[in-house]
Amino acid sequence: MKRVVAVFAAVMFALVALPAASMAADAFPSKPITAVVPMAAGGSSDLLARAIEKFWPKYSKQPLVVVNKPGGGGVVGTEGVVRSKPDGYTLYLGYGSGHDVVMPSLQKMPYDPLKDLVPVSRVSIHSVVIVTGAKSEFNSIKDIIAWSKKEGKPVTTAVSVKAGAVDLALTAFGKVAGVNIVTVPFSGGAEATTALAGGHLMIGGGHPSEIIPHIKAGRFKALAVALPQRDPTLPDVPTLRELGFDVATWGSIKGVAAPAGTPKEVVTYIDENIKKICNDPEFLKLMASLNQPVLYLGSDDFGKFMKQATADYAKLIKQLNITID
Amino acid sequence: MEIFSGLISGFSIALTPINLLFGFLGALIGTAIGVLPGLGPAATIALLMPAIYVIDAPVTAIILMAGIFYGSMYGGSTTSILLNLPGEAASVVTCIDGYQMALKGRAGAALGIAAIASFVAGTIGIVGMTLFAPKIAGFALSFGPPEKFSLAVVGLLMAVTLSGASVVKGLVMMALGLLLASVGLDPISGKTRFSFGIIELQSGFDFVTLAMGVFGLGEIFYGLESAIKTEIVTTKVGQVWPTMKDWVASRMAILRGTLVGFFIGIIPGGGAVISSLVSYAVEKRVSKRPEEFGQGAIEGVAGPEAANNAASSSSFIPLLTLGIPGNASIAMIFAALLIKGITPGPFLIVEHPDVFWGVIASMYIGNVMLLVLNLPLVGLWAKLLRVPFGIMAPVIILFTAIGSYSIQGQAFDIYSLVGFGLFGYLLRKLKFEPGAMVLAFVLGPMVEGSMRQSLLMSGGSFSIFVTRPISLALIGLFAVLAIGQTAVTLRKRFRTTT
Repeated sequence: MKRVVAVFAAVMFALVALPAASMAADAFPSKPITAVVPMAAGGSSDLLARAIEKFWPKYSKQPLVVVNKPGGGGVVGTEGVVRSKPDGYTLYLGYGSGHDVVMPSLQKMPYDPLKDLVPVSRVSIHSVVIVTGAKSEFNSIKDIIAWSKKEGKPVTTAVSVKAGAVDLALTAFGKVAGVNIVTVPFSGGAEATTALAGGHLMIGGGHPSEIIPHIKAGRFKALAVALPQRDPTLPDVPTLRELGFDVATWGSIKGVAAPAGTPKEVVTYIDENIKKICNDPEFLKLMASLNQPVLYLGSDDFGKFMKQATADYAKLIKQLNITID
Repeated sequence: MEIFSGLISGFSIALTPINLLFGFLGALIGTAIGVLPGLGPAATIALLMPAIYVIDAPVTAIILMAGIFYGSMYGGSTTSILLNLPGEAASVVTCIDGYQMALKGRAGAALGIAAIASFVAGTIGIVGMTLFAPKIAGFALSFGPPEKFSLAVVGLLMAVTLSGASVVKGLVMMALGLLLASVGLDPISGKTRFSFGIIELQSGFDFVTLAMGVFGLGEIFYGLESAIKTEIVTTKVGQVWPTMKDWVASRMAILRGTLVGFFIGIIPGGGAVISSLVSYAVEKRVSKRPEEFGQGAIEGVAGPEAANNAASSSSFIPLLTLGIPGNASIAMIFAALLIKGITPGPFLIVEHPDVFWGVIASMYIGNVMLLVLNLPLVGLWAKLLRVPFGIMAPVIILFTAIGSYSIQGQAFDIYSLVGFGLFGYLLRKLKFEPGAMVLAFVLGPMVEGSMRQSLLMSGGSFSIFVTRPISLALIGLFAVLAIGQTAVTLRKRFRTTT
């Protein structure tokens, strides 16, 4: 037992200590930065965080270490960041996800996502794409509406989670188009797309990073994007507005945030590094292979964008009269 | 022929010094975290991610991660057998007879057969994967919510019957497990349930904390009653190797477990857990002396251990052929592949044959390494039982506390660990079998989520469970088993009363 533990400890120590070995300077950062992802490992937020984690050391003398703290739909990990010391060493990666922009309109939050966090930079937007199985009789949004009107049956729809960005977009589409959309929530995008790939539901929604691999494998057809403009990762797929349905959401926004009270110069330092990463051709290449568009915004603009997105979602939820209590 | 040449090129990749080294490292780390309670393969792989970027060749990185994953399946049985501490959901079943064997001084035989079963099943699993991977991948997709519901319910009811003595007590335990599983976020509506305003409870109880508390700590608290007894079990470690009799008893169990594990492991979500349950139930059913199950039957260790290892091999099939990660560890490997610029899916084998065949070949080598690594350790592990209770108990408590804290980094989990420990002690005193509760806790979210998803799909009609062929077949199978079991029990009772 001792021997195994000792070897294990040595390996772990080496892994932790090696990147930290290049200690230097007293200016920020003087130690590794922790980036909390309040979602499970392997999801689209996690992949984005891992991509940043990989490129960060290229522009900073200290590494950025991703820590997954899933639970409570993202609230648990985010609250941990909100309550941590505002010194820039604890960041939140994934700011703008469903629990930041959608959840506050539906339930009481233990913190204020707009006031208790400082926006640092926006990195990506994960739009909501409406898809159907490759073997489905539906070839367009019109087919779905026609089928539903003719048969008078509900359209079963796979969504990642209840009251998340995907669920809201599909529900809104159903109301505007006058189609009885029954959303079936799963525990995450991967599970929802797997069920759709098995042909167990009629249509589904998902982010490009989740659905493009299925499209490439010939299992899905993309029908529409619920963004105000076309998604750069799916340039051939029309928006719902182009198709004549006034439904547009911001999907799930992915940015970096720090606890409120973090010094301005620290926020600027992190923002500038993220900006450099977002302009790195190799990072862009990696993000393209992950099917995540890079849509960088600096701290101030991102702050304005977050306010706008939160207000837009609040308006949509009110219009659709959605509640979860 | 294509498979053959693919495999040859795979071995040429897996046998390069660097890949051999990383394969070995993976197996070693995997064994270590399997033995340490609390630390699981998914968390370890997540922790190692920064190191994985540094590794140049994607195939080397995946070989390392895959090694950690299947290595932990080997190591997981060790603490289940020796200390009644399941480190993974899949090794809960191993506790039942494995720990009983240890109590009877047969820890060595239990550990030995677990290692051998793991090796045989792991290897057969990889052979199956080599030959049939693309052909059976579609099988995974045919399991939608209704099928998953039926499968989980069958698994759940098997958990009740396998606890042995009293079916009523088993049902009570099952209900309790389901109730505990419902704490936290409602999987369908997103509302929080039974959290009483405690933020840590929003994500529910953690499985490892529950299992370590109820089994491990419960056992220690129970041991305190007889404080005069200085060892956890007898000083006699007994014969380390399985005897000829053991081997004869378990070889068919290993083969059956492998088959069960291989097919159930392909299904995303909970495959390894259900396969170990099903294997245990099958062994009890076919055994000529089912009364020995729960008292230290070696088939009860060999079958499930084979099943969970075969399942861990076959769970790579949906990842490598469909791009679908079926469990948390595989999801981490999926993420690492994507970061390395490789999209797992039907084109993987065509676009990156080096990765596909290299990883498969490394799994053959890794299994041999694990056997070589684990068999000599059997004697060493078994000697652990000679450590006096007064030393062992605090060490176990310390390790379980660290383990449960490390999962989510919250002190609350340590309190719930102690709470579950006290509850486990109570269950032992009242002669309840906690296995059914822990397994119901694992399967609860799957049962609930898939039932409600199915009903949403069918517009509220329960007929969806019997109109779909796979679901109907599963329910039918269970009905036959249940009726058969009841008939046997009734006949026995009738005979004894007359």
